[in-house]
Amino acid sequence: MIEVRLYATLRRFSPEASTAGVFTLTLPEDSSVKGLLSAIGISPSDVHLLMVNGASAELDRILSEGDRVGLFPPVGGG
Amino acid sequence: MSSKDSIEMLSAGLVPEKYLRNIGTIGIDGQLRLLKARVAVIGAGGLGGNVIELLARQGVGHIRVIDGDVFAPHNLNRQLLATESNLGVNKALAAADRIAEVNSDVHVEAVSKMLDAENALELLAEVDVVIDALDNISCRLLVSKTARQLGIPLVHGAIAGFTGQVTTLLPQDAGLESIYKVTAGSDKGIETALGNPAATPAFAAAIQVQEVIKVLTGVGEILRQRLLYFDTELNIFELLDIR
Repeated sequence: MIEVRLYATLRRFSPEASTAGVFTLTLPEDSSVKGLLSAIGISPSDVHLLMVNGASAELDRILSEGDRVGLFPPVGGG
Repeated sequence: MSSKDSIEMLSAGLVPEKYLRNIGTIGIDGQLRLLKARVAVIGAGGLGGNVIELLARQGVGHIRVIDGDVFAPHNLNRQLLATESNLGVNKALAAADRIAEVNSDVHVEAVSKMLDAENALELLAEVDVVIDALDNISCRLLVSKTARQLGIPLVHGAIAGFTGQVTTLLPQDAGLESIYKVTAGSDKGIETALGNPAATPAFAAAIQVQEVIKVLTGVGEILRQRLLYFDTELNIFELLDIR
C-alpha cells in the first residue's frame, strides 16, 4: 500500500472518498512514481516537485510497500 | 537623517528611534549590517512590493529594484505599490517613490527594465542577496543560474491561489531546477488557474524578508535545502527536503 498526498490543483485527482487529497492505493510490485501517476490519471508534466518519504525524488523512483508520496504542481506566481 | 547618520549613531552604540523595535531581534550589530547591505529584488509586483516595503522598514540600506512593467488595474488587488493614481507607472520607479516616504536611510536603485539573459550578470552584480519575486518560471531559472554564477544567496518565493513556497538557495546548493521542471511551453504554474489573491503574496513575501534578514545578520537558521510550502486553504504548512 502506498500513501499518496496530492497538493493544490492535483487534489481533484483524489478518489471521491478521500479527504484533503490524502489516500492510499495498492500498485503492482516494482511500480515507479510514473506508474502511480498513470494509475491516478495525472500527467507527469503537471508534477514539478515530488517527494517520497519526505525527500525529493524522480519520476523513475521505484516505490516500496508503505512509501509516502507527495505530488506538487508548479507554483510560479508573484 | 541620512543613512550615514544612522550608521554613525549605531556604531556609537546608540539606536535611531525608527529602529528601536528592531534591536531586540537583530541587535545593534544586525541593524548596522542591514544598513550597509545591498540587495536586489527582481519583480516589484505582488511579492516584490511587499518584500521592498518590509526590507525598507527593517532598514536594509540599498535595494536594487528590477522591473520593466507598469501598473495595471488587475494589480490593485495585491500589489502593495500599486494605487489607483499610479496606474501606467513603472513598478521600479513607483517603489523608489514609495520608499522615499517610508525610510530616507534606504536607497532604492530603480531599474525600469526586465531582467534577461543579456543583462542578468550585470543587474545582479555587487549585491549581498538576490530576491526572486518574479511571476514566470523561465526568468526564475535564469536568476537562479546567475546568482550561483555570481556566488550570491537567492531567496525564492512563489504563490498561486492559497498556496505558496519559499526557500533560500546558497551558491553551492542545487538551483531552482530542483523545484521546477523545464518543459517547453510551460512558463507559468497553477496561478493561471487559481489566480493571485491579496494575502498570499504578502504572506510569502514576509517569509522571504525573514530569510533575507537572517542571511544578512547571521541570526537564526535559514530555509537552506528546505522548501517551506503552504496551502492555507487546508492549513497545510510543510518543510520539504529538496536536497
